[in-house]
Amino acid sequence: MITNFEQPLFFFETLMFLSVIFMHLSKKSSSVIYLYAAQSLFVTILLLSSFIKDLSFALLLVVVVIFGIKVVIAPYFFLGLIKRHQLKFSSSSYLNGPTALIVLAIITAITYSHLFKPLAVLSPDNENALLLAIAMMFISIFLMINRKGVLSQMIGILSLENGIVSFAFFAGLEQSPVLELGILFDILVWIIIASVFASMIYKQFGSLDVTAMKHLKEE
Amino acid sequence: MTLLIFITIPLIASIVSLLIKKKTQILNFIAIAASAVELIATAKIILSVAEQGSYSLNGLFSVDYLGAILIMVVSFVGFLASWYSVGYLKTEVAKEIIGFRRVRQYFVLLHLFLLAMFFAIITTNPILMWVAIEATTLSTAFLISFYNKPSAMEAAWKYLIINSVGLLLAFFGTLLFLSPELNFGHHGLIDWHSILLNAKNFDPFVIKIAFIFILIGYGTKVGFVPMHTWRPDAYSKAPIPVVALLSGSLLNVAFLAILRFKSITDLSVGKEFSQNLLISFGIVSIMVAAFSIFSQKNYKRLLAYSSIEHAGIMALGFGFGGAGVFAAILHMIYHSLAKSLLFLSAGNIFLKYSSTKIYNVRGLISALPVTSVIFVIGFLAITGVPPFGIFLTEFSILSAGVSAHPAITIIALSGLVLVFVGFLKQIASMVFGIKDENISKGEAGIWTTAPIIIIAVILIAASFYIPSFVKILINGAVSIY
Repeated sequence: MITNFEQPLFFFETLMFLSVIFMHLSKKSSSVIYLYAAQSLFVTILLLSSFIKDLSFALLLVVVVIFGIKVVIAPYFFLGLIKRHQLKFSSSSYLNGPTALIVLAIITAITYSHLFKPLAVLSPDNENALLLAIAMMFISIFLMINRKGVLSQMIGILSLENGIVSFAFFAGLEQSPVLELGILFDILVWIIIASVFASMIYKQFGSLDVTAMKHLKEE
Repeated sequence: MTLLIFITIPLIASIVSLLIKKKTQILNFIAIAASAVELIATAKIILSVAEQGSYSLNGLFSVDYLGAILIMVVSFVGFLASWYSVGYLKTEVAKEIIGFRRVRQYFVLLHLFLLAMFFAIITTNPILMWVAIEATTLSTAFLISFYNKPSAMEAAWKYLIINSVGLLLAFFGTLLFLSPELNFGHHGLIDWHSILLNAKNFDPFVIKIAFIFILIGYGTKVGFVPMHTWRPDAYSKAPIPVVALLSGSLLNVAFLAILRFKSITDLSVGKEFSQNLLISFGIVSIMVAAFSIFSQKNYKRLLAYSSIEHAGIMALGFGFGGAGVFAAILHMIYHSLAKSLLFLSAGNIFLKYSSTKIYNVRGLISALPVTSVIFVIGFLAITGVPPFGIFLTEFSILSAGVSAHPAITIIALSGLVLVFVGFLKQIASMVFGIKDENISKGEAGIWTTAPIIIIAVILIAASFYIPSFVKILINGAVSIY
């Protein structure tokens, strides 16, 4: 990780954190997609800064793949899905806006509590960024739980993955080929899932709202 | 080189199956031949490991004692599930439920599923193990949605979402475990051995947090409560042979991942931390499953809750430690045999009654005499009735915990009694009673009957006699885990 640019890089982490907060507040499906694209772009910038420092070509490959898939292809695919199935609005969530915000505040407070603070030992200089990345991970999981749309659940998983990558970056683990392998495989898996399952679900239920899935309740 | 068989054979079988056009017999032959080759290779591996302690290839792949036990379980259940699939799918094709393309898709995914499980066991790298377990999610998701019905799609989606979150948390936990090595500039493919060597230098807090993430992450795949909710839905919708593999094999593979990290955690912070966590997840899983079994209306879901219960029992065994570890590993073997027996028998019931609802199944003993007897044997075995092996393992696990954790042991014992009563109530209503006049008498055929007879014979034999090589493997595994 580049130590000379700690402040700008922390700024990008903050933007990533804010992007997932705004995903919760967003009323439009397309806004969630754009926020995800922006979040992925910030992850790409973090990893690019690491490449500039160490000139690791494995990392460059990851940067290119992440940019290509997460910033360009995945958002394009999701926007196509919205257009095809006319999913303009997807505000439905289990908790209303203010309640969701309170939950987000509690999650962030827990992350900054003594429960997770000792994790800063991995990179004491980046304590705030590390804890913010963990908060982002938990808030992404909450996005999946709170939102009723299949699309939001997919974005929640991908956002969780961005949180893990940013954590790895601030912990100084981003140069590891094993991390890169894991990220690339996860992206591959979710591209397959998103491209196949979203259409299959729409075909079966005529909607991408998970509340339409009631067939298992009878059992 | 034998280890490469576990990667190349299922991969080739999957690719060749994909290229087959119109000939179901060739797909059947490939499935049985591939799984038979894997089974033969397994024999060589387990004998080598029993003699030498491990079997390695280039440092990239290695099988230790527990790995050998799991390869044995996966290849055996894989072989019988492949064999059973031939008869099961043939009947479904005859009923025009599925066509050739579906059969081909099934076998392609089945081979990939087996490949991923074998890879997870033999790889020496924790991230590659994670990749392999993630790959099982992908292949099985398409198998769960195999029948392309809304309920199957719903179950597959639930499975995907819950397991994906779980596995991402496991990935995060793995990164934390690898962080000391990575921070020391070790940027190659880090193996289990090098992590174990440095375990004592890890920051205790980081390791504790990492193990919690690992336990929740891979515990989702194992099916511990409260991460178990995908399991009954997925089991009730997937084709029966796949469910036999999910319960008899994948559960153990995910457990292996937890145990590998447990051994590192134990070296770093002592055994108490991981043991307490395993005991907590174990007892909650047993009790929730015990109460859920009573209210089930679907026999596949009933068996799913039984898998959750047994995951809990294994967790208790590893949590109690001492003799409990030996019993827990032996329990893995018995559970795989008994549960694949029960699920494949349930497949015969489904083929006969065309329903998974318990109230639709009456008079099993007259409709399916062989299957019903084997189903009852499976029920007696899985609920721990003597003289079946599970009685011995459950008794040993509870004995191991009674002095240090008497309250937990008593609660677990009451849970096991509840499970027996709940199971008995459900099974009795299926086996006895008067069958519907529309239900014909007689088994579906040798393809679906022979595999369950073989498992039943082995299960009974293994309850009275444990081969010496299995004892060596279990004792070896106990010394590590």
